[in-house]
Amino acid sequence: MREILPRLPATRIPGVVEAIEGLVNVRGTLLTVLDGHVLLSQPRRAEDEGAIVVVEVGSRRYGLGVAQVVDFLEVPEHSIAERADLPGIDARLVKAVGIRDGVHFIVLDIDALVAPIIGT
Amino acid sequence: MDVAKYAALFLAESREHLSSCNQLLLEWEQDPAAADALGGLFRSIHTIKGMGATMGFTGVAELAHRMENLLDALRHGLVTVDVGTFQLLFQAVDALGRAVEDAAAGREGGSDAALTVALEAAAGGPPEGVADVATLVEGKRQHRRSTDAPRGRSVLIVIRGDAVMRGARAILAVRRAETLGVVSAVRPSLAQLEREEFDGRLAIRMESRASDEELAAIIRTAGEVEAVRFEEPSSWATAEPERHRQIRIDLDRLDRLMKQVGELIVAKNQLGVMAARSDDPPLTELSDRITRLVSGMQAEVIASRMTPVGEVFERFPRLVRDLSRDLGKRIRFDVEGEDIELDRSILDEIGDPLLHLIRNAADHGIEAPDVRQQAGKSAEGRILLAATRERNSVTLRVSDDGRGIDRAALLAKVRREGQSDATPETLSDDDVLRVIARPGFSTAATVSGVSGRGVGVDVAMTRVRALGGTLEIRSEAGRGTTFLIRVPLTLAIVRALLAEAGGERYAVPLAYVAETVEFDPRAVTALRNREALVVREQVLPTVHLRDLVNAGGRPAPARRPTVILEVGERRTALVVDALLGQQDIVVAPFDAPRGMPPYVGGATILADGAPALVLDAAALL
Repeated sequence: MREILPRLPATRIPGVVEAIEGLVNVRGTLLTVLDGHVLLSQPRRAEDEGAIVVVEVGSRRYGLGVAQVVDFLEVPEHSIAERADLPGIDARLVKAVGIRDGVHFIVLDIDALVAPIIGT
Repeated sequence: MDVAKYAALFLAESREHLSSCNQLLLEWEQDPAAADALGGLFRSIHTIKGMGATMGFTGVAELAHRMENLLDALRHGLVTVDVGTFQLLFQAVDALGRAVEDAAAGREGGSDAALTVALEAAAGGPPEGVADVATLVEGKRQHRRSTDAPRGRSVLIVIRGDAVMRGARAILAVRRAETLGVVSAVRPSLAQLEREEFDGRLAIRMESRASDEELAAIIRTAGEVEAVRFEEPSSWATAEPERHRQIRIDLDRLDRLMKQVGELIVAKNQLGVMAARSDDPPLTELSDRITRLVSGMQAEVIASRMTPVGEVFERFPRLVRDLSRDLGKRIRFDVEGEDIELDRSILDEIGDPLLHLIRNAADHGIEAPDVRQQAGKSAEGRILLAATRERNSVTLRVSDDGRGIDRAALLAKVRREGQSDATPETLSDDDVLRVIARPGFSTAATVSGVSGRGVGVDVAMTRVRALGGTLEIRSEAGRGTTFLIRVPLTLAIVRALLAEAGGERYAVPLAYVAETVEFDPRAVTALRNREALVVREQVLPTVHLRDLVNAGGRPAPARRPTVILEVGERRTALVVDALLGQQDIVVAPFDAPRGMPPYVGGATILADGAPALVLDAAALL
């Protein structure tokens, strides 16, 4: 993960899968933004402000459009478990699961998330 | 003397001479009776020998010396030239090229014993003067001293105009003078001597006990010294030499400059939008002024990057010569339009596609001499590499007068794959290209020997498309094949027309826009079951941008402009919802996601900061 940006207007790219939201202008450079809602099959909520999490996959950068950024966690190794089947989430996208303050969280496998849609 | 600096200069100049050696050898081989080339060859080799000796590169100097011996023997008619001599000279030029590269990189290798022996044998015996190469290097170190009282004076030194590495000579001359006294000033400065514009005239001020004659003699040992004059101090001020107005610039620096200008244009465009919105006359005026300044700067930067295509073309005559030898064919290779200029970065990328196409033409296009004669053609085939300038693009043409593409054979292969119902008569040039440009299109088993095209065409196609260019083919059975590469004059900054469709904006590079007309529903007709428009009595295939990009939004307006796209002789009509004017756009890199349609050529940031996609006209045709 590289940085977090506010939600930016995206230019649609015709012909590509729905999970690609489009291109945004980040301080003069172009960034392809993926739609986190579509990727994770989660419904959109009206009250969400939206944000873009910039991730680096290999040498390429992508934006991941999310509903909101809740918190940053530093997770001790022992508090996360190997991935488990979770209802409604594609198990291939889950790297690990954990619990903090009684709330479950998922560590996403970013490589797996973007792999099917990034170009060659 | 700073060896590293001069090594680069030595390398650059040696490469030029080696390239001209190849050229001269090729000419001479064409017409062995004409000895014009011999003189030029001798001079080039002699120059390389001199430079090698000056630099202390004995390997280079010795090899050049042996070549010189052979050339000298040829020049004086002591030995006669034959096929073997040419092959030997080509080999020697290649070996000298390697020796030069190695020496300049600071790793002088051993000499090629077999080549040395062959050169000696060809020259009619062992050379008389191997020792004098060592003397040549060593001889530059001698000097003398005198015992008169020190006397101040100004010395004007003129290095011969045709001397290579004038700067190195000049510095050497200064060093020589220093052995006889104290040099207190050098003009131009030592640093300026290393520049290209140094014209060979320098003045030094020194204190020395030596006589004028002794000083002149020691300075002359630097070599290539035309004149040494002793002048009154008053003439010092007028000794400033006239300058040539050229310097060498590192390509990376030009690239960075271009990138900065690109960003400046994006910023300028945004400023223009803000100024227009502000309703503030002074701001608008300033914005207009900045626009003009940036445009001027852009033109200058682009002009400074333009390089003649001849720089890439010059390596091909030798390639064709070697290929025709290996293939047992006779091929004449002609070049036209070498002085047409292209952006350096495009030029760097275009060599490879051309190489593939020329190799293809020699390998598969041109027939063996007996086959040609049976077909009623001259035994010697011809390959032409030509550059022509068009509006905003340059066309590079590789033509051969060989066998052309056998459409029947090509079709047979395609049919086996169950892909076509065309007949040889209806298979268009475009269809042919589509088949042979398929990655991995194999000629080995099926088409080779019949038409044999394809190897490398996919590579050429990919490279050319990556440059925003197009590749076309024209082929006629028995008459030959022509490949046309069309590339933009420059990358990075493109003048584009902004079009709107379904509320989205797209940029169409102006290089491919022939004109814009009003869409007239009454002019709609059909062409091969596809919608077409009649424009100026021409039936053009038609694409509606909003359908193409699958745009939603408001329904299309009643009055719609149509952009006529043109690539070569092919035209297509692109119907859009509205035109929003022209803009200089900087095509920005982005990682294309999987499934991005071929008609998206790139993306850019518009004046208002929003990203927009750039349409690739070639993919719409």
